[in-house]
Amino acid sequence: MTFTIAVHSAKGGTGKTSISVNLAAAYALDGRNVCLLDMDVRGPSLRTFFKHDTSGIPFWVNDLLSGKRGINEVVVDVSGELGTNGKFLVGYSKADINEIRELASKDRKWQSNALKNIIIGKKELIRNGTDVIIFDTGPGVEYESINAVAASDIVLIVQSPTKACFDCTEQLVNGVYKSLNKKCAIVDNMHHCSVDGNVLQQKRYDIPVLVTIPCMCNIATRSQEILVLSDRGHVFSMAISCMKHKLESFQ
Amino acid sequence: MPENEILEEILYNLKEINSKLDRLLSKGEIVPFSNEKLNVNSSLDVMMLLSLPDHLRTTATTLFEIGPATAEDIAEITRKERAVESNYLNQLVRMEHVEKYREGRKVYFHINSNMC
Ligand SMILES: Nc1ncnc2c1ncn2[C@@H]1O[C@H](COP(=O)(O)OP(=O)(O)OP(=O)(O)O)[C@@H](O)[C@H]1O
Ligand SMILES: [Mg+2]
Repeated sequence: MTFTIAVHSAKGGTGKTSISVNLAAAYALDGRNVCLLDMDVRGPSLRTFFKHDTSGIPFWVNDLLSGKRGINEVVVDVSGELGTNGKFLVGYSKADINEIRELASKDRKWQSNALKNIIIGKKELIRNGTDVIIFDTGPGVEYESINAVAASDIVLIVQSPTKACFDCTEQLVNGVYKSLNKKCAIVDNMHHCSVDGNVLQQKRYDIPVLVTIPCMCNIATRSQEILVLSDRGHVFSMAISCMKHKLESFQ
Repeated sequence: MPENEILEEILYNLKEINSKLDRLLSKGEIVPFSNEKLNVNSSLDVMMLLSLPDHLRTTATTLFEIGPATAEDIAEITRKERAVESNYLNQLVRMEHVEKYREGRKVYFHINSNMC
């Protein structure tokens, strides 16, 4: 059965994109057919991870949202480039300031249709035998992110250990995720070693904490790599693998 | 009282409560944003969805998921009575979040987003 994960957070820079890309790659390595979509249309970031030439890409996630194109036209298969067993489709969003500026002024009608278009795209992916769909989103209550949350089955909440992040997440859990009836799971990222490992929480806001990833400079300095592909023994890759298993049994 | 009679009574009361709530709702007392209705279009987007009361939100979310549907289709998924869903859907129609149309003998509902 297909499952759709929206990787979201209350605050920015918590590691959503790093986790989305690596999680998608981990599933594809396993032979699962995966589709990773950049729903962070106001701050596109997926392109930095994939080395293939994206200058010739004719269509974008933006075109899916606006209804100009269907899902099959906006995704690129990177499984050949990365050597994964499963299909690995990626949909990029357009890093063009005019496009982003225009998005910021879209009205509710447009956003309502965007949600419909995401759901139509998701159904198409399911028909085509996709096993896992992952939405990388922008932080907070942006329309595009909440649309992605609404179209998902599971919300993977990536938290960094700041008070602001904790407080904002609690608001999102009660005001968005639970209201939309979503299953939720938390990943603690950028955890500081000074915090006593024994007091790691199993649950927060009544949501399971799947894994805790330490804050490590060499995750940031190697942010151009997809670590699950280039360094399977890395702490980050192992955490992704653990997350992957737990999400599967989460169904 | 035998068990099934008690259940029936509970069901009856629940329905009663629901319809009272619905009447309250349709007066627009609980629904936020209703004051905007005059100058803002009534498209049902995800933020509006979040501001709906729980029972209507479930109905509307389901309609988003499955596209144009009858009250029966919705009821099958939400596991509520057809009549209950029909009532909720019509409330959403009155709020102009949902539109309905007839096809043969069936009445279909779909999210109103005023665009094609
Ligand atoms: N556990 C970690 N330890 C140290 N650095 C990390 C860790 N996880 C991610 N990073 C780094 O933090 C930076 C931000 O990560 P990333 O872009 O994945 O966050 P994001 O949540 O997607 O950000 P945004 O909200 O802007 O989309 C990157 O440079 C990344 O390499
Ligand atoms: Mg990101």
